[in-house]
Amino acid sequence: MNESMLCTKTHEYVLEQDGKYEVGITDYAIEQLGDIVFVELPEVGTEFSKNEAFATIESVKAASEIYMPISGKVVEINEEIVNSPELLNDDSYENKWFVKIESSAPQVEFADLLDYSDYKEEIE
Amino acid sequence: MTKQTFLHDKHIALGARMVDFAGWDMPVQYSSIIEEHKTVREAVGLFDVSHMGELIVYGEDSLPFLNKLVPQDISKLIDLKAVYCQLTNKKGGIIDDLIVYKLEDKKYLVIVNASRIDEDLNWMVRNKCGFDVTIVNESHNYSLLAVQGPKACELIKSLGVETLPAFFNIKRSELFNINLWISRTGYTGEDGVEILVRNEFSEYLWDKLLEAGKAFGIKPIGLGARDTLRLEAALHLYGNDLDENTTPVEAGLAWSVSKTKTEDYNGKKVILEQLASGTDKKLIGLKMCDKSIARHGYEIFYNNEKIGNVTSGGISPIRGDNIALAYIKNLDNLAVGSTIQILIRDKLHDAEIIKRPFVEKKNKS
Repeated sequence: MNESMLCTKTHEYVLEQDGKYEVGITDYAIEQLGDIVFVELPEVGTEFSKNEAFATIESVKAASEIYMPISGKVVEINEEIVNSPELLNDDSYENKWFVKIESSAPQVEFADLLDYSDYKEEIE
Repeated sequence: MTKQTFLHDKHIALGARMVDFAGWDMPVQYSSIIEEHKTVREAVGLFDVSHMGELIVYGEDSLPFLNKLVPQDISKLIDLKAVYCQLTNKKGGIIDDLIVYKLEDKKYLVIVNASRIDEDLNWMVRNKCGFDVTIVNESHNYSLLAVQGPKACELIKSLGVETLPAFFNIKRSELFNINLWISRTGYTGEDGVEILVRNEFSEYLWDKLLEAGKAFGIKPIGLGARDTLRLEAALHLYGNDLDENTTPVEAGLAWSVSKTKTEDYNGKKVILEQLASGTDKKLIGLKMCDKSIARHGYEIFYNNEKIGNVTSGGISPIRGDNIALAYIKNLDNLAVGSTIQILIRDKLHDAEIIKRPFVEKKNKS
């Protein structure tokens, strides 16, 4: 995991890169879900507010909604994990992000996000 | 308080992820559900199913008593033979599904679902009046280990058991100098056995089976894979696919209802009427036409009319598609090959009615 990512208590992360934000779920969440067998992502161009469900991920046992850590507009989606959800369980696969968004979220939306070390403490 | 089987420490030591199941802290997976599933289909898996209930029914009237409780004909059982049954209420609804073994004359072993032990015992006691019969709950004295997969019987034979019981038979036997019962049954669609052993020997037996099984590719298997395996085999799960408002005929279990039994049993009138003139709802098997996954409770539509619900659904690791069991209105024009729709997160997804079981069963007698 990248140390500069910000995490939610519901195990999503957001990482700023080149003026855009990459959004996904944490390693811990993936490990807890076990075998991931289905990923549904929104269409490019869709706008979401903070804490709005934007994706669905299914393990063998159950379906889970994934929530936006900050508000923004989807500019890119990770088709690879839609086509091969099992890549998320593959330790050698690095591109585990779900969507990239453009965001002009005000600072207040970041207030409840945890930096990675605090997140790790939270889950231990 | 959550109950633990005698193998609980073993599961923790093997790194299992534990979950609550019917009040028991049970292993859901050790490594990966899909890997464990494939191990059972390709080699052999070891399951702790000690949460299941074991009841002994004995006494002068044990046969007529059991015959009053289930639609099957228990009088057909010879010693050491077993039959899959349902405990039905007065309306033919299923209180539990279970296996009845005839151990000897006037003595039967009944294996029931963990989640239903109390209901089963209550129902049996309520029906006991006038019968000279004793019901003993032995659940807390016994562990149950399932050894399942194409290599399962080979493994057990390699341990000195020359002849295994035939399909749906049980025998007294010995493994590693432990006296136990070996039953040729299971819940995976594979060949294999279930071993009933007194609790004090279960940890030793578990370790020994894992050790001896190494050469056969054995792995411990959690309840997660147990569920995907039984779904592929289209075996019902009580609480999902069976309940007190569903009869054996509606559940596609008419094959397990005796057509010749003369004795009365709970629900006989309803069940015979349904056998003669059909049911309002029926169990079907489905495969999803896209990559979406049907789950328990999802609604089913046909021509924009709601016609039923999914009762069990998930992935089929062997077929590579997604499958489900569901109940729908018994419409004449809906049969194998028909397309219906399942509502998943506000969108309708096509699903095709297909034959059950979803994979070929390997445990035919």
